[in-house]
Amino acid sequence: MTRRSSFARFAHHELRLAWRDWTALMSGGLRIRNRVIVMAVALFILLLHAVAVGVLASDQPLTLDNNKALLVTLSASILLSFTMMISQALESVTRAFYARDDLDLILSSPAPARHLFAVRIAAMSVTTAAMSALLVAPFVNVAALLHGPHWLAAYLLVFALAMVATGIAVGLTLAMFRMFGAKRTRLVAQIVAAVVGASFLIGIQVVAILSYGSMSRFSVLSSTDLVDAAPGPGSLVWLPAYAAMGHVGASLLIFSISAAFFAVVVSYASLRFGEHVVAALSIPQERRSQRRERKAFRQMTTQRALIHKEWMLLRRDPWLASQSLMQVLYLIPPALMLWMRYGSDTDIHVILAPVLVMATGQLAGGLAWLAISGEDAPDLVATAPVTPRALLWAKVVSVLSVVVAIAAPMVLALAFVSVVGAFVTFAGVILAATCALVIQLWFRAQAKRTNFRRRQVASRMSTFLEAFASILSAATTGLVAAGTWAAVFPGVLLAIVMLIAWLVSPREKRKRRSPRRSAPPVSAHALS
Amino acid sequence: MSEPIPALSIRNLRKTFVEPAVDNLSLTIRPGEFYALLGPNGAGKTTTLRMVAGLLTPDSGDIAITGIDVGEHPVEAKRVLAWVPDEPMIYDKLTPVEYLEFVAGLWSMDGDVARAKADVLIDSLALTRHADERCQGFSKGMKQKVALAGALIHDPKLIILDEPLTGLDARSARQVKEILRHLVSTGVTVIMTTHILEVAERMADRIGVIAKGRLIAEGTLDELRRDAGGAGSSLEDIFLTLVEEPTDQARTMLDDDEAA
Repeated sequence: MTRRSSFARFAHHELRLAWRDWTALMSGGLRIRNRVIVMAVALFILLLHAVAVGVLASDQPLTLDNNKALLVTLSASILLSFTMMISQALESVTRAFYARDDLDLILSSPAPARHLFAVRIAAMSVTTAAMSALLVAPFVNVAALLHGPHWLAAYLLVFALAMVATGIAVGLTLAMFRMFGAKRTRLVAQIVAAVVGASFLIGIQVVAILSYGSMSRFSVLSSTDLVDAAPGPGSLVWLPAYAAMGHVGASLLIFSISAAFFAVVVSYASLRFGEHVVAALSIPQERRSQRRERKAFRQMTTQRALIHKEWMLLRRDPWLASQSLMQVLYLIPPALMLWMRYGSDTDIHVILAPVLVMATGQLAGGLAWLAISGEDAPDLVATAPVTPRALLWAKVVSVLSVVVAIAAPMVLALAFVSVVGAFVTFAGVILAATCALVIQLWFRAQAKRTNFRRRQVASRMSTFLEAFASILSAATTGLVAAGTWAAVFPGVLLAIVMLIAWLVSPREKRKRRSPRRSAPPVSAHALS
Repeated sequence: MSEPIPALSIRNLRKTFVEPAVDNLSLTIRPGEFYALLGPNGAGKTTTLRMVAGLLTPDSGDIAITGIDVGEHPVEAKRVLAWVPDEPMIYDKLTPVEYLEFVAGLWSMDGDVARAKADVLIDSLALTRHADERCQGFSKGMKQKVALAGALIHDPKLIILDEPLTGLDARSARQVKEILRHLVSTGVTVIMTTHILEVAERMADRIGVIAKGRLIAEGTLDELRRDAGGAGSSLEDIFLTLVEEPTDQARTMLDDDEAA
């Protein structure tokens, strides 16, 4: 393989893998032709263009001149996107170190590994950019159409930010390897990715609560204090905002600096990447001793045995626990608000209930996947002498017990302010958790627990339905807490979402298609 | 004297996925018998055994374990059954002792009894040194032994093993074979699928050969040799003869045996 062709071949390999990953993500693992996927995505993008036309259609020219308030808001939005990009890139880098099945093959081949790693880092940057470009493209295109082609320069900003984010992610991961070693880097990197992704949003919300007593981020971004304190329109701080608004000079400058930074990172990291990958793949398996004394086994019912097992597995897997419990980060602002307003605001549960319900719904979805689809010994559990109903109940209890344990402190604190409010919130938590559990049951497909991060790939549909169910549970709870009959509307919508989930679930479809010709035994497991 | 209740009785079992995987299969296995189920890849061995273990629902047919109808009384049937799949399914984050405690809990065993049984199994499977280590660093052979210990802890009357010796080193394979022989000597029934024909030849009381979802031959090694091989022929010769031509000759042979 020549030097040139190895780059080209690796790029082709990466491109093909990325395309297949993407189509799997979009199709939810169903056998859908690529043409259909492309058409569906094109239709979605067209729809976004229509939205963009509605937003941007105006006779007034779009300009930032002397508009500091707009500069602040736009810069904050760019910063938010940037933190998300860093988070996404950190995930990609960690996956490249630990989870690529082709590393053994590539590292043992005579092809220069640094070429592959250079291509792989570039691919990460392109993927990161593509995800953001997909969302901003309609607005940039419509702006270019309505207000001038210079707006297309905004794309340069997206790619520039993606390059810097990937560069930072690669640098951070390499630094973590040095600081924490190969074994701990994966866990630390995943936590850092989640914290970076959430930090900006949570940070602004915390500032809003502390300064303005509101959970709305806009109260900070639109405050006159912040706008007054911000530097003048000529400051370099606003360069990304100008670039986003189609300023060609600003775009080119930022792109050039970013590309130079990225080139330095790639040339350094592609040399180091190989040794770090080898280090990551050579981590000796843990041989941790739990206890030495010979005690009698606990007398357990099947249900208790399953609950005990779920708790123990979660506790012993810090990576998995951190992934599941990351949703708890979003409870920090409402907890802070509860603390700030404690005793002075009897209606605080109206604000807090939906947030708590939303977060616990998401948490329950993750835990339910672990307990139901991520069962590592499905045959063992399925052959235990208990009815499927009892098994199912044990799984449900094991998930709900974790959710309740996490939500309980805040619900109890709310009870001191409003007993009814706490009761409604608790009911909402149980509702959201139950919906998430039921959706996981309907869409269950056996998988390894280590695939937790990529569980959405198995069913994009279930991921969307789970998110809708959480949002509607939160809305229903919030409106019930507010004492308005309007709660009926999200409640009915929630029922419709659950009905759709039931109708489109693979098991239900299979039953309808043919009661006799079942699928191969790949997904047969404990609760079948 | 009346016939003892079969350890496993299968009647007219059928299962179709895209094509028939198990096609009108009938089988009777006596208590305390070591039965080897052989067949080429995709013959329907695992599908049959998964239906016996209650992991798949048959399209039609009856399965009874020690006289207990699996369809009507699945919980009672599972109480006397142990299933060991080809890929050991254990929890990486648990130690062998904790895994056995979990299995004992699933079968609602008495804590003291389970603990004593676990100690015996851990010793006999040479897992003592690793009893309190998490399974995540274990080799496939060690995981297979942990899974086997889990299958044996609740004293099953019927043990079904799907390719139990795959991936085991020579020492581990011998330990497993010795344990299985010991179990059979105590009256436990063992059904095993394997591609290692030598193991079936040496260990099995009776051998069943399955192809395209149908039982095409069954009997002791001598019976199979008489019907399909010839004096001195190995099980491998017999097996290849049968599966290469699982046609009229094999059907006639099986029908003759049943008639006899």
